[in-house]
Amino acid sequence: MPLWDKTGWIPVPQRVAAVLWITFLMAGVATGAFFSAIDPQELKYCVSFPEVSRLGAYTIGFLLFWLLSASSALIAVFFVYPAPPAAPPTGLPEQPAETP
Amino acid sequence: MNSYDPTLKSSAPPAPDPNDALYEKSRKIYPRQVHGLFATARVTAATVLLGIFYLLPWVQWDGRQAVLFDLPARKFHLFGLTLWPQDFLYLTFLLMLAAYALFFFTALAGRLWCGYACPQTVWTESFLWIERKIEGTRQQQMKLDQAPMSLRKFRLKATKHAIWIAFSLFTGFMFVSYFTPARELAVGLAGFALGPWETFWLFFYGFATYGNAGFMREQVCKYMCPYARFQSAMFDKDTLVISYDAKRGDPRGSRRANVDPKLQGLGDCVNCTMCVQVCPTGIDIRDGLQYDCIGCAACIDVCDDVMDKMNYPRGLIRYTTQHELDGGKTHVLRPRIVIYGVILVALCALFAWRLSQRVAVGLDVLHDRNQLYREAAGKIENVYLLKVINKDDATHRYTLSVEGIDGLAPAEPGLVIEAASGAVVSVPIALRAAESALPSSSTPVHFSITAEDDPALTVSTEAKFLGPAK
Repeated sequence: MPLWDKTGWIPVPQRVAAVLWITFLMAGVATGAFFSAIDPQELKYCVSFPEVSRLGAYTIGFLLFWLLSASSALIAVFFVYPAPPAAPPTGLPEQPAETP
Repeated sequence: MNSYDPTLKSSAPPAPDPNDALYEKSRKIYPRQVHGLFATARVTAATVLLGIFYLLPWVQWDGRQAVLFDLPARKFHLFGLTLWPQDFLYLTFLLMLAAYALFFFTALAGRLWCGYACPQTVWTESFLWIERKIEGTRQQQMKLDQAPMSLRKFRLKATKHAIWIAFSLFTGFMFVSYFTPARELAVGLAGFALGPWETFWLFFYGFATYGNAGFMREQVCKYMCPYARFQSAMFDKDTLVISYDAKRGDPRGSRRANVDPKLQGLGDCVNCTMCVQVCPTGIDIRDGLQYDCIGCAACIDVCDDVMDKMNYPRGLIRYTTQHELDGGKTHVLRPRIVIYGVILVALCALFAWRLSQRVAVGLDVLHDRNQLYREAAGKIENVYLLKVINKDDATHRYTLSVEGIDGLAPAEPGLVIEAASGAVVSVPIALRAAESALPSSSTPVHFSITAEDDPALTVSTEAKFLGPAK
């Protein structure tokens, strides 16, 4: 998994931050925009939710937004790495040394 | 070997080269304590900002918390102002203002924000202060960390972390106080009766503070902060930066006292590495402008001290500009600054004007979709749905007036709409006008509502009155 690989292309804290931190900020923006347009108390008429306070609904919404954006960032980080090259075949009979 | 080599066999990565900075486990940085003009400025800024953060939730206004982002009630209190979700525009305005202010000050004076005002800097400073109080100076801390575990080491480390954690949890508590009234929260905490979500955010923010200010520190600036990466786009040769004057300082080296360094073939830099030891991000400012430099000016203070001791003029490391270092003059007024400044002033003015024009009542008028018009009592009748939003803190009763067509009037006169604070009230209403009075098949009409007890609470909007084709 490239996120933890040791090729040293990008330092590990930078890779973790790219996935978790940036998406944390975006989840905050998305939560603000979503819940300023939609009151979670009105959502419960559309979806059968267990009884959750507004603060709880905001929290769950935020965590879901974070999960969603972090998953997409994780996959993006994964695909940013070049695909591994073919490994040379192993187990072939040894070639005789060339004679001059 | 800094770049990824695709010819490497994926199954067998080579052993990391210990000299490669990218492989290196990030070393802990022990910034040496510094005194001086900019250190004082930094401590003052941190004290004021933390003071505001920790004290603001305890300030009361009109019998409620002065600054409260009351998410459960869906309204934001900012002293005398109450904002509802419908006022989202103001929040975007504020964000734009903040962004342009950041651009403006960055172009003018570099990373002022990072060095003096960023929460990451401010809390890291506080955590460093605690660390220094318990573990001692830079040398003592390094010695302690290298020493094997002992009772004394355990005691110091445990004390430090206990104080850090207590401080972090208090910070988390104060953070939640911006969303749930601080006094309620304090009572809840005292009775071990905090709500589950409040508890979650208290620990979440507390943990973030502990991790970011205690451990991540400069790595937050290097790897997590988008601003650190793009701030260079706002820099030009006239931006104030912290720089080492290489012309004056090089060649560096230790020297015999009381002998002119020029005779020894040396510049003014004595190579004492103090500027590196005080740096919270662990860089050498003498290597030039680097994105890791957060502009805290600690190196300026410490270098000035050294220059004083050597009896050299101060300012070997100083706030300067690229133009000045190249021997030219700094231009403060330049197109970049003027453009950012004009945009910033214009946004401020627009924001203040919008805010002064803001009326704590909103009105939307929707024409009935099912029926364009009908004839009733010998007149043409249109049906509308009024949506009244009371954005004031008190309940109000509003009266409606309509105009735009001679003899236009509600089918049932004497309508009064009552809306509680924050409520959105929908009222259907039929308007009638004589067909002969209609100038065309679609005539604009004005709806306005006014609070009975406050004539200043008035808002109007336009809609179409439809009739038979002419």
